[in-house]
Amino acid sequence: MYNRIASNRRRTVFIIFLFIVFIAALGFAVGYFIDYRYGINSGYSILLMVFALLIAVIMSFSSYYWSDKLVLSLTGAVPMTREENPREYYMVEGLSIAAGLPMPKIYILEEQGMNAFATGRNPQNSVIALTRGIMHNLDDDELKGVIAHELSHIKNHDILLQTIIVVLVGMVTIISNIFLRSMFFSGGRRSSRRESGSGGLISIVFLAIGLVLILLSPLIALLIRFAVSRQREYLADANGALITRYPAGLANALRKMSAFSEVRAANNATEHIFIVSPFGKNSKVAFSGLFNSHPPIRERIRRLEEMSLGIGLKSESVINEEIKDGV
Amino acid sequence: MIAAIIVPIVAVVVIIIIILIAGVSIYNGIVTLRNRIDNAWSQIDVQLRKRYDLIPNLVETVKGYAAHERETLEKVIQARTMGMDAKTVGDQSRAENMITSTLKSLFAVAEQYPNLKADQHFMKLMEELNGIESNIAYARQFYNDSVLQYNTRIQTFPGNIFAGWYKFTTREYFEIAEPEARGPVKVQF
Repeated sequence: MYNRIASNRRRTVFIIFLFIVFIAALGFAVGYFIDYRYGINSGYSILLMVFALLIAVIMSFSSYYWSDKLVLSLTGAVPMTREENPREYYMVEGLSIAAGLPMPKIYILEEQGMNAFATGRNPQNSVIALTRGIMHNLDDDELKGVIAHELSHIKNHDILLQTIIVVLVGMVTIISNIFLRSMFFSGGRRSSRRESGSGGLISIVFLAIGLVLILLSPLIALLIRFAVSRQREYLADANGALITRYPAGLANALRKMSAFSEVRAANNATEHIFIVSPFGKNSKVAFSGLFNSHPPIRERIRRLEEMSLGIGLKSESVINEEIKDGV
Repeated sequence: MIAAIIVPIVAVVVIIIIILIAGVSIYNGIVTLRNRIDNAWSQIDVQLRKRYDLIPNLVETVKGYAAHERETLEKVIQARTMGMDAKTVGDQSRAENMITSTLKSLFAVAEQYPNLKADQHFMKLMEELNGIESNIAYARQFYNDSVLQYNTRIQTFPGNIFAGWYKFTTREYFEIAEPEARGPVKVQF
């Protein structure tokens, strides 16, 4: 357990370091091209690099403190109270006692798909979010299994790394979009004022950077996979089963969720924080098999079923029936 | 010549440092586990106190409808006092198991009074007690897990050596001691 926490801390520092270097290098590249174009020793490269470095550091710090709030607002989650949902409230309270954690805040996602995630920077500042669909379709044992899975992500300190990655990946995507669009806009202007050479060159440079970033994005996806390895999903499943002492609960839950787990508010940056892929079967991501952040759900179910020794597993028809009618 | 003296000295110093570091980390590990038990115990305590606070309220409510069930009510109060006075983990777990079983018989009694069963206040108390009951079970699970880890650590090598030096003693489990759940099942024809 302690090793997991230490390894997560190392990975978080490493990812942030990589991000800062990446942004600084980008600033330097832009400045270098500007310097090169005007041919004067104007020092734009250093200036822009320092500027980019500063921004990257500020971004990293703020993502440490506020990324959980950003994730919650990105997904449109709203806080849930005990009065409205006593069942879920008492489940989270009890299971966090069993896990030896302070009670996380509970948020709700107004989505029909069955899914859940945890976010925050440490167990003292953590959040569990559940979709309306998961609360509606899962029975007590199944929902406890899901909550225990999320609690073990919190206990292993997986949440900080996962949450920071959301912000950093999102940022890289935004930056590459800015470069690409600026090229399109200035490209349009260029056709009307054909003689202005300097604008043309800069837009070509921006296009080049944008293209490089686009080409880099599979690498970034690989990075995500490295950081949120599939292994930790298996681990959270196993630790979750240890908290509830009932592996069949999560196994049945995963079987239900595999039927309908789509979350409309999810995107590439937030995909990996969910318990099962929020894109469902028709994945939006290219090379989804190659860059899946989640292990195959069949394998997760199989491992849990093995753990349960067959006790408490529901038949296929019961599962289908309960999804249709709700619990 | 000098190297022949220095090398063994350095080797011995390095070995001593490694042993010291290992010793400190083993000792700290044991203390961390022991503190976790105390933390787990305080979690149980919070839940138990919540239950103590509810019981007088519950007894008063039941009295309003079923005053002559004096015996059952007194047993509940008695068990509560026992729980509040308990000093050791063993005493506490015995008292808590008694509270749980007396509450059960109180609820069984309540079954015979439709008016009581329909009372809003009573229903709310029941719900809260059920929630606390399951929280106690969870807290007990965490406590017993922590005790298991700690006891195993100080009874196995190398923890047992440190346990001898620093007087680490094994801790008591918080047991579920419902007699009917424990003993062999009696079958009567």
